[in-house]
Amino acid sequence: MSLPLGLEVGTLLLKWHLQNTKIIKPSDSRLATQNSGPTSMSIESLDPRVTRLQIEPEPNPLPKPALDQLITFEVFHQKKEGLPFTYVGPVHAADEEIAFLFAKEQYSRRAMCSGMWIASTEHVFVSGYADDSTSVYDTMPSVYVTPEGPEQSYEIFHLKKRGKAHQHVCTVTARSSEHALEVARQTLNPAPPVVSVWIIPSIHVLRQEEDRDMWATTPEKKYREAIAYRVQDKIDRFKAEQKA
Amino acid sequence: MYGGGNVFEATKFDDLEQEDPVKLAEFEARIARGEKIEPSDWMPQLYRKQLIRMIEQHAHSEIIGALPEGTWITRAPGFRRKLAQMAKVQDEVGHAQLLYSAAETLGKTREQMLTDLINGKSKYSNVFNYPAFTWADSNIISWLIDAGAIVNQMANAKGSYGPYCRALDRICAEEAFHLKYGHDAVVHMATGSPIQRKMIQEALNRWWPPIMTFFGPSDKMSMHTETLMRWKVKMASNDACRQQFLDMYVPKIWELGLTVPDPKLRKNEEGVWEYTEPDWDEFKRVINGDGPCNAERLAVRRTAEERGAWVRRALLAPKATYVRPLA
Ligand SMILES: [Fe+2]
Ligand SMILES: [Fe+2]
Ligand SMILES: [Fe+2]
Repeated sequence: MSLPLGLEVGTLLLKWHLQNTKIIKPSDSRLATQNSGPTSMSIESLDPRVTRLQIEPEPNPLPKPALDQLITFEVFHQKKEGLPFTYVGPVHAADEEIAFLFAKEQYSRRAMCSGMWIASTEHVFVSGYADDSTSVYDTMPSVYVTPEGPEQSYEIFHLKKRGKAHQHVCTVTARSSEHALEVARQTLNPAPPVVSVWIIPSIHVLRQEEDRDMWATTPEKKYREAIAYRVQDKIDRFKAEQKA
Repeated sequence: MYGGGNVFEATKFDDLEQEDPVKLAEFEARIARGEKIEPSDWMPQLYRKQLIRMIEQHAHSEIIGALPEGTWITRAPGFRRKLAQMAKVQDEVGHAQLLYSAAETLGKTREQMLTDLINGKSKYSNVFNYPAFTWADSNIISWLIDAGAIVNQMANAKGSYGPYCRALDRICAEEAFHLKYGHDAVVHMATGSPIQRKMIQEALNRWWPPIMTFFGPSDKMSMHTETLMRWKVKMASNDACRQQFLDMYVPKIWELGLTVPDPKLRKNEEGVWEYTEPDWDEFKRVINGDGPCNAERLAVRRTAEERGAWVRRALLAPKATYVRPLA
């Protein structure tokens, strides 16, 4: 059985690459300065950015310190002015403000967005999850004893279908997260399905209400839209030329 | 990309008998009804393990996959192409973030996943162990590797795990641009000067063998595979994905007057694509570390991790405690 042509060419080129991916050893490593390309033993890559990193190919990596990862924040975005805030996913960050920057980059970079809310994961109270056809509110005990304590405001989010995203439905005043769930049940009395409810104290939701212009950056970057590439026109022109 | 999930051998199919039969029946009934599984639901160990492995490998593939295309950012021909190439590469890194978060909801921390990647314990899609020699190689990756990835991702987006589906919906929406951008770049070369045509043909010749291994070897149909398909973890066989890819893209390659470097490639009377069996020995050798770029790829990731550590240390307030994300 003969090798496919591509494999032969590929194998040859791989050999070429391996022979040409050399490790440079300057005679005196003290001569190597910051921006003068690879130093002794560093990787010379096809990617000049990698070459500039001056990476040792066989480093003795120090063991990574245990759990130096950052905490997580849950992100809700608003697609358009007036629409409810909807869950988009988490980000890892050191604090709310960095979380906001990461979230803006991660979740509003490509799609239309007119606003974002951020809350630390630990501040989200979760009701549990029901089936797609039922309501978590129906699984709650019918008698509820209102707790003691000061009142504050809570944001209520509903999940209508598993695999979809939680959406903001209202703000209630209550004495605890559990109490907020009860208040939401009484005031909304929503028809099923409500698969799951998330509750966040309003003071723990970071919002960006000023500076609305910052969201208006997406439309000008047309090169990121599939529609900007008129491939078929080029193919048709090519085919017509081939015929002529 | 890059649904590498179908490519590697699965976790062991052992302790299914030890699962609570009532809970298992409820879980299977939910999936049969077409409902998604959410992180706080009961799930069999095999489901959890297999999904962690699959989503984690997918995430690694996105973040490593940014490297071959990143190779040409500094030398992209023209400012518009540079912007587009940067945007695409940034998307891929973003996909990795989304996927790490989805895997995290199953109980493995993002940090542990990154550690396993840089120590060589976790795998990523094998195609990224090959270099992008020229700008044309980068174009072939943008078009055809992303096309393969999209076949995979569209299938997986119909799977049963809620957080993975949410991530994939967003990813698939962004991929539409990658595919068009890549196709446009290849068409530009293929319809250009003789030198450009030669460049793109040679890049296609280099990338065709890795592309044919992209979906992995034919599945051994076993109880294990059947279970994962019933649980909507594995959505299509590797061969089915490969056939779909060939059906969608070979005609698009041929219409540009390019040659696919496989003399056996043809669609037979039954509508099935025939091809030269890829070199699975080379595939195994490369995936186990002995490829042209494995060492460099991991060294770059490791360096990013090490040289960024001081930033994390500086930012990490002592009071911050880690809580797993919700969904
Ligand atoms: Fe992509
Ligand atoms: Fe991707
Ligand atoms: Fe890609």
